[in-house]
Amino acid sequence: MLLPAVLLYTAFIAYPFARSLLLSLYDWPGIGPKTFVGFENYRNVLTGYMSREFFRALGHNARFFVLSWLMSMIPGFLLALALSVGLRGTNILKVVYFIPNTLSIVIVGFLWGLLLNPQWGIVNQTLRAIGLESLTRPWLGSTETALPTIIAVTAWRGMGFYILVFLAAIVGINRNMFEAARIDGASEVQVVTRIIVPQLLPIVSTLTVLKVIWSFNVFDIVFAMTGAQAGPAGSTDVLGTLFYRIAFGGLGSSDVGMGLGATVVTLIFVIVLPVSIFYVFILERRTETR
Amino acid sequence: MLKLKVVQKSVVALLLLLWACINLFPVGIMLVSGFKDTREIFQNPFGLPQSWSLENHLEAWTQANFAGYFTNSVVVTVFSIVSIIFVSSMGAFVIARFRFPGRRLIYLFLISGLALPVRLAIIPIFLIVRDLGIQDTLFSLVVVYTAGGIAFSMFLLTNFFRSIPGDFHDSARIDGAGDFRIYRSIYLPLLRPALATVAVFNFINVWNDFFFPLIFINDESKMTIPLGIQSFFGEYTVRWDLLFSALSISVIPMILFFILLSRQFISGLTEGAIK
Repeated sequence: MLLPAVLLYTAFIAYPFARSLLLSLYDWPGIGPKTFVGFENYRNVLTGYMSREFFRALGHNARFFVLSWLMSMIPGFLLALALSVGLRGTNILKVVYFIPNTLSIVIVGFLWGLLLNPQWGIVNQTLRAIGLESLTRPWLGSTETALPTIIAVTAWRGMGFYILVFLAAIVGINRNMFEAARIDGASEVQVVTRIIVPQLLPIVSTLTVLKVIWSFNVFDIVFAMTGAQAGPAGSTDVLGTLFYRIAFGGLGSSDVGMGLGATVVTLIFVIVLPVSIFYVFILERRTETR
Repeated sequence: MLKLKVVQKSVVALLLLLWACINLFPVGIMLVSGFKDTREIFQNPFGLPQSWSLENHLEAWTQANFAGYFTNSVVVTVFSIVSIIFVSSMGAFVIARFRFPGRRLIYLFLISGLALPVRLAIIPIFLIVRDLGIQDTLFSLVVVYTAGGIAFSMFLLTNFFRSIPGDFHDSARIDGAGDFRIYRSIYLPLLRPALATVAVFNFINVWNDFFFPLIFINDESKMTIPLGIQSFFGEYTVRWDLLFSALSISVIPMILFFILLSRQFISGLTEGAIK
């Protein structure tokens, strides 16, 4: 009864990962014979003609991680804290807050593309209406704001997940700790900073690991909002879109090939793997101690 | 929980409502615009429609190949979820209820997929699908989604199996029930809340997935909604009414399914997956 899971998983997940590593040592346009090239692909990506594009994309992924960490964790925590007060309607709000998570990224990208339209989008209209004309910009059309805007949209869609996880963790804290602190004269602010925040650190570390994994794999939202070219002027290009252009022939990339694509994937893998091992490790430790 | 004064409570309530509005606004605009005609969308973008007729929705449904995309999405999602639940719950049953050498290792191997994003292996997966001759079929999507759903589902279900006392199992066995019977008639019913979580989680992933259809499917008649709708963006820029009603139709099943199972899903996600 365990066999179907093991077979399917081996054939379509584990084996492809292994084969991807091998493929990165070949030059192969996708059809015809493969040529063994050793570490040539790696040289091209890391120090050769692809390196500028590669490191620019890698830098964008790193920025994606840092900015989206800030944009998800802090509001997510604050909103969870607000929900934990237990006002009427909390249960309905939990459902409402998760709804964006259930939407397709393609649709999310399209809708925010409309809302962010420089001329008639509601974001700029609102800014004009409240007298902040100077803050209006072509959000997705400027090389400075395009990437942060995409990150903000991602944070908007994912917020419900962070809220629910933080909320469950806050509710799970032993109430006696709050009472004891209050008897000792702690203010409510101190209850938050001295008790709640430290108690949440394990959850924060789990979420941070997930953030790393997701940030270095981001593809759909960039593709949906700024296309395979990840414009303007490649300012939103991440490893996912770079890989897509190389392996599946989006126009405008300097080289196309499955081997070179597999190399980019292997490098993403090398970045994500240590974090991933750590993640599986903390998950296992947690279930063992239950 | 925190003890707040009345003023502070109102500030908190205001903050929560503000976020609810920011959350629902884009979706709300989309749903409402589906009822307007194109001129109305531009002249009165944020107001209520003049009439609530489903004319647009019917027209969108028959336009292009939208009904086809929708059917494909339903078929792929239903088959994927059923097979994920079947394969993972059996696997989790064995891992949680039997002791045999290599059990821990196999479990770690299977849940390592939690941390390895499936799409990183897309090139070899694409090649396997091509070599098997199932490229451009809905079946290829079902197989890949099932394999990709195993890690999370096995992880969650194994935890739930472990939390069910083993006594059931022993007494059923004394009564002469085989292992498969025990799994099917004793454990599956007990597992219902966890299965709801697995179902919603995979529904979100599969129904909305854009990446695998983008790589596997070229044939227009085999496209699922997220891929098919791309062509709507290009072709129907003069018919915003149709675009919005098509988008509405495509998000409604997902949102309804989520709301229906939201209680079990929320408790399962937060308790089972993270804590």
